[in-house]
Amino acid sequence: MAKKTYDLLFKLLLIGDSGVGKTCILFRFSDDAFTSTFISTIGIDFKIKTVELRGKKIKLQIWDTAGQERFHTITTSYYRGAMGIMLVYDITNEKSFENIVKWLRNIDEHANEDVEKMILGNKCDMTDKRVVSKERGEAIAREHGIRFMETSAKSNINIERAFCELAEAILDKTSGRESAENPERVVIDRRNNDKAPGYNKCCA
Amino acid sequence: MAMFKARVKEFEDIFAQDVIDMKHLRQLTFNGVPDVQSFRALSWKLLLGYLGPKRSSWATTLSKKRALYKQFIVELVLPPGHTLNGEGDGATDCRESGGVGLQDHPLSEGPESAWNTFFNDNEFLLQIDKDVRRLCPDISFFQQPTEYPCDIVVHSEGEQGRRLHERVVPSVLSSANVERKGLGMTKINLITKRSAENYAAMEEGQEAHWEVVQRILFLYAKLNPGQGYVQGMNEIVGPIYYVMASNPDLSFRAHAEADCFFCFTALMGEIRDFFIKTLDDAEGGIRCMMAKLSNMLKSKDIGIYDHLRHQELHPQYYSFRWLTLLLSQEFPLPDVVRIWDSVFSDEHRFDFLIKICCSMILMQREAILENDFASNVKLLQNYPPIDINVVLTHALSLA
Repeated sequence: MAKKTYDLLFKLLLIGDSGVGKTCILFRFSDDAFTSTFISTIGIDFKIKTVELRGKKIKLQIWDTAGQERFHTITTSYYRGAMGIMLVYDITNEKSFENIVKWLRNIDEHANEDVEKMILGNKCDMTDKRVVSKERGEAIAREHGIRFMETSAKSNINIERAFCELAEAILDKTSGRESAENPERVVIDRRNNDKAPGYNKCCA
Repeated sequence: MAMFKARVKEFEDIFAQDVIDMKHLRQLTFNGVPDVQSFRALSWKLLLGYLGPKRSSWATTLSKKRALYKQFIVELVLPPGHTLNGEGDGATDCRESGGVGLQDHPLSEGPESAWNTFFNDNEFLLQIDKDVRRLCPDISFFQQPTEYPCDIVVHSEGEQGRRLHERVVPSVLSSANVERKGLGMTKINLITKRSAENYAAMEEGQEAHWEVVQRILFLYAKLNPGQGYVQGMNEIVGPIYYVMASNPDLSFRAHAEADCFFCFTALMGEIRDFFIKTLDDAEGGIRCMMAKLSNMLKSKDIGIYDHLRHQELHPQYYSFRWLTLLLSQEFPLPDVVRIWDSVFSDEHRFDFLIKICCSMILMQREAILENDFASNVKLLQNYPPIDINVVLTHALSLA
C-alpha cells in the first residue's frame, strides 16, 4: 500500500444539467487545460488533485456526474459520501439555471445535511450569449445561503478559486470540530476576511 | 496473408449462399470481420436481424425500409406545413397529408397543433445536439461532410428548421450602438462579436456526418416516445453509422443513414432496458448486468473481487458505462468495431460482453492488487491501451 501523502481527504461532487461544462471545469482544475470536445459523461467520472491549504495537504477526490435524468439513480448514490457539492449551470442556458432548484432538492434528499454547497455559473466568458445575469445567480445563492461564483473553464476564470473556497469551507468545519475538542486552539475564520488576495495563492 | 485470403474467401462463400447459414456466419464473425468489401456492414445487418437469411428477400426489404425512412423524414423532421420542392406535379403538401389545417400556426398552443409538437421536440433535440457534436472527438470522421446528404433537408429553399440543429441554436438578437451627430445624422454601429461556432454549419446542399446521426437519434426518439433520447445512445449509434457510412460498396454507402437507423433500432430493441431508469433493477436492467459481471469476477478471482470490495470500489463506478455502452467509450473506434463483431455474433447476447468485461479486470490483476482506491478507479475508468485481440482471446477462455 502506498504511503499516505496527504493530511486530509475531501470528497467533492459536481452536479448540474447536461452540457453546462462540469467535465471541463474539472479538467481545467486537475490538468489546467481546456478542450471543448469532451464526450458526454455516462454515469460517473473521477479525478484527484492535491492542494495545500493552511499548511495542510488536502487530497480532493472529485466525482463528475452525468447530467441527464436517466443517470440519477446511479449518481445520487454518490451524494451521501460527498463533503462538498458544486452545482453548475450555464449562463447561456436559461433552463440549466431554472433547474438549480431541482438540483438543490436532490441535494436535500440525498446528501448529508452538513454538506458544503456552492453554485457556479459557468461559461462567463461567453458574454454575447449570456441569458442569466450575475445578479440572478447571486440572488438564488443568497436565498439558499450558498456560496456563488461565476466561472469560465475556457478562460480559466475562478476555477481554482472555486475549488479552494469550497475545500476551505470544509476545512473550517473539520477544524471547527477539532477546536471544540481543543478549546484552547484559536480558529481563524477566514470567511470574515477579505477573500480575494489569499485565494489566488491557496492552491499549490 | 494466405490466412487472410482464406478468411475473405469464407465470407465470399457464405454471402453467395441463397440462404445464409446463420450459425456459420456467427462463427465467422465472432473471430472478426475482414475490413474488405461490405462484409462487416452486411454481417451486422444480418446479425441484428435487419435483413433475413434469405438473400432473395434483401432487395425488397431494403427498398421498403429505405422508402419508409424517407417518409419518416418528411413527416417528422421537416417543419409543419412545408411543401416538398422538386417533386414535380406530385408535390405533397402537409396541409393535405399531415392534417395541418388553417387553424394551426406557430403560436398555437393547442394539443393537436403540429407546431406545438414541433416546439416541444426541441427540448430533447437540444440534448441530442449537445451529444452528437461531441461524438468521437478523437477522430475527424463525424465532422466531415457526407457524400450522401439528405436532399430534402439540405436544400432548404429558404425555409428554416429543416436541419435539426438550426432549431436549437440559441437565437441572439443583434444590437447596435446608435450615435446621433447633429441634425438627422445617425450613425449605427452594428455590434458583431459572436464567438465562432466550433462546428461550422455546412453550406447549402451539404451536411456533416454528425448531422445525419442527429437525425437518426431524433427520429428514434420521436418513434419511441416512451423512451425518448437518453445520453449514451449517441455512442451506440456512432459505430454502426461509421460502419455503414464507410462501406466500400457505394451503392450501400448511399443508404447508410436509413440502414443505420434500422440496425440501431434493432440493437436498441435488445439493450433499451439499460437506458430506462425504472428498469434498473429488472431482469435485463443495467444493475442485473452489473451483478452478473460482479458474480463472474467473484467466481474467477476471489482475490481481486475481495480487494475491490474492501476498497469500496463498487462495480457501478466502471461497469455501468462499460455495459450500457457496450464498451464503445473504452477503446478506439476500430477496436470497438472489432469487439462488436464478436458481441453481435453471440447468440446469447450479452454473455460474451460480460466475459470481455471480466477479462478486462482479470488482465489488470497485478496493478489492481497493488493500487489504492484512486488509482484503481482511474485504471478502470481509463482502461490502458491494449491489443484488443488479446482481451477477446482471454474472454473466450473464460468458461
